Amino acid sequence: MTHVLVPVAVLKGSTVSGGLIDLLGTLNVTLLGYHVVPEQTPPDQARAQFEERATNALGNIAEEFRVAGGDAYYRMVFTGNRRKTIERVAAEIGVDAYAITGVTGAVESLLVPLSGEIAVSRIVGFVTTLIGDRDIVVTLLAAGNVPESRHDEAATTLETAGVQTETRVSAAGPFDALVDAMPGHDAVVVGEAAPSLSSFLFGEKSNRAAAAFVGPVLVVRRNQPETDTVHS
Amino acid sequence: MFYAHCDDRETIFDDTTSVPQSIFNPMAVDHPAMAPPDTKVETGRNVEGRAPEIKPTVETDEVTLAGDSELERTLGLTGGLAIGIGTMIGAGIFVFPGLAGAEVGTAAAASFAVGGVIALFVALPTSELATAMPKSGGGYYFISRGLGTLAGTIIGLSLSLGLVFATAFYLVGLGFYMLDALAEVGITISANPGTIVSVIAVLSGVGFTVLNVTGTENAAKLQNAIVALLLSMLVVFLGFGIAESLGFVDADTPPGEAANVWSVGPVMSVAALVFTSYLGFAQVATVAGEMKNPGRNLPLAMIGSVLVVTIMYVLTILVATSVFTQDRLALEGETAMVAVGRQLLGTPGALVIIAGGLLATMSSVNASILSTSRAIYGVSKDALLPGWASRINLNYGTPHVALGMAGGPVVVLAATREVQLLAEVASFLHLIMYGLICVALVAIRRDRPEWYDPDFRVPGGPVIPLIGAIASFGLIAFMNPLSILVGLGVIVVTSGWYFYYARDITLKGAV
Repeated sequence: MTHVLVPVAVLKGSTVSGGLIDLLGTLNVTLLGYHVVPEQTPPDQARAQFEERATNALGNIAEEFRVAGGDAYYRMVFTGNRRKTIERVAAEIGVDAYAITGVTGAVESLLVPLSGEIAVSRIVGFVTTLIGDRDIVVTLLAAGNVPESRHDEAATTLETAGVQTETRVSAAGPFDALVDAMPGHDAVVVGEAAPSLSSFLFGEKSNRAAAAFVGPVLVVRRNQPETDTVHS
Repeated sequence: MFYAHCDDRETIFDDTTSVPQSIFNPMAVDHPAMAPPDTKVETGRNVEGRAPEIKPTVETDEVTLAGDSELERTLGLTGGLAIGIGTMIGAGIFVFPGLAGAEVGTAAAASFAVGGVIALFVALPTSELATAMPKSGGGYYFISRGLGTLAGTIIGLSLSLGLVFATAFYLVGLGFYMLDALAEVGITISANPGTIVSVIAVLSGVGFTVLNVTGTENAAKLQNAIVALLLSMLVVFLGFGIAESLGFVDADTPPGEAANVWSVGPVMSVAALVFTSYLGFAQVATVAGEMKNPGRNLPLAMIGSVLVVTIMYVLTILVATSVFTQDRLALEGETAMVAVGRQLLGTPGALVIIAGGLLATMSSVNASILSTSRAIYGVSKDALLPGWASRINLNYGTPHVALGMAGGPVVVLAATREVQLLAEVASFLHLIMYGLICVALVAIRRDRPEWYDPDFRVPGGPVIPLIGAIASFGLIAFMNPLSILVGLGVIVVTSGWYFYYARDITLKGAV
């Protein structure tokens, strides 16, 4: 089943917004609670003091998923490096996507950029499963040098699956086009591809705020080999 | 030699890396693989009624599973080497050459070599224990689990104090370099330079402590960069110095070479003094719980950093003593290397050494303060100190009590400016720990507990740990009587603390 990882900075008071919980209701969800410790602090010391609070909070979020009709497992990590943790856990349990939580109400529109070296069929497949039989409108964003065949094919596949689809073509660069298009949508689904994009997504909160988008972003992972790559 | 047990290692890690998938039946918050081991040790309680918090853990290359959580391993080999080299290099290159060269001339190179060999004989056993117990706490952890609570309490507390003495020593070195830096920009303090050194040392000590409590920026990358910069500066500088002393290039140095005092007593006595330059490798073990692929990276980081600094130290001494006579080295004292730099390369040479000395002593101070707070956490977790000592500040997420407990005495000691005493007491307390680490290895190997399964094994049976133990304890005999007295005082006080506070706690084998 399609599996999505939702990292939550649980001890910083981060939660998962109701809109995202509903959106992910069709998928298998693992909540990844994490707490970033400064290098002065051994992770085990933070665990000893904060573990109970963290797992309680995670349990509550998982409960919200259940109340919303979905389901969520959870695990808690104390780490010095958030990115390494997310990538390790994502590879370990072989998730198809991970979520960057943001604030949103009910999700009615998804923005899906198609630029860059991404596996379009994976993203389209993910979006189809995510939406299921709900009325969520997808905007395919073709910016830069996206060949027409790519967004045509994606649009056809989505419409065949019964998803209402619009296509937006932009002459701007992929990144600028995405930032321009974001405000009109409730959530974004992107492929894990361009390093600049992922550094933007993983970057400081201020960068995201500067891009004027506070909604959730779902990052569809590249096709992973079956075996666990982290330990190789 | 690391790969002698390569096959074992592969199978071990194949087993453990498969653990996360199988035990993370994610709904189950309590992991079946983490059920308490059969050999559960009754640990007892301290005088306040608190028991050690010993949770069974599962270690893999990437993560430690403890309680209901995972602890990410984020330090790589580079990070480990940077901690080891970054802690050590400040003292041996920038503070000791003048002092050691003044005592025995070129023979000080032998003193540093002796120190390096002893460090290596301890680094090998420490590596084996660290790969068997890749947890934070380092030497304290191995000794308390291998030799019991009394030895553990003495070492745990005196390790923290040893680090406090070492940090104070680095701070005084920093003060001397700062004074030279001021002189270089035209501010000469002729009235009372000693007081200025104290003031700088105290202010820097307070500054580093406050930074460590409030700073949540990750300085690890900066530390790596500083170590890389230092090493490249030194390679160029030493390369030139060696070429000069061999006559390939001529920098017009005065003809006076330091006379050599090649007799065992003085060489060993200097070795005892400069051993403080080798205190960093065991600090790598204090972050063992945060090291990725610990079975490989811990031995490489510890042994590698000892080898790198030993070579650097010996070369530095050869250069310094080929440039100056003993009298001149004695006159220049703690910052003799600045004069050596000036002699070889003029003002730019002096500036490079001053910049290097400032960076190196700062990186030693910072790394040591971090290790001290980890050492305090280790003993507090085992209920050998009150639990509040390991509290974490809610605003900054840093262990402010432990950092304060480290920083306070550091500042007081740094104000004394007693470089030799501080260095020797730090060495004394570390040498006791090193000797006992070696003894603990022999004891654990003899007892063959079920949990003991190191990825790295010291070859040659008990020979290396026994030599390491004898050399560590033996080097103490060459120290200044006052240093030995202060060191013994620390041991008496920490034993007293054990009998008062933690008599009923059993830690042997409690992994």
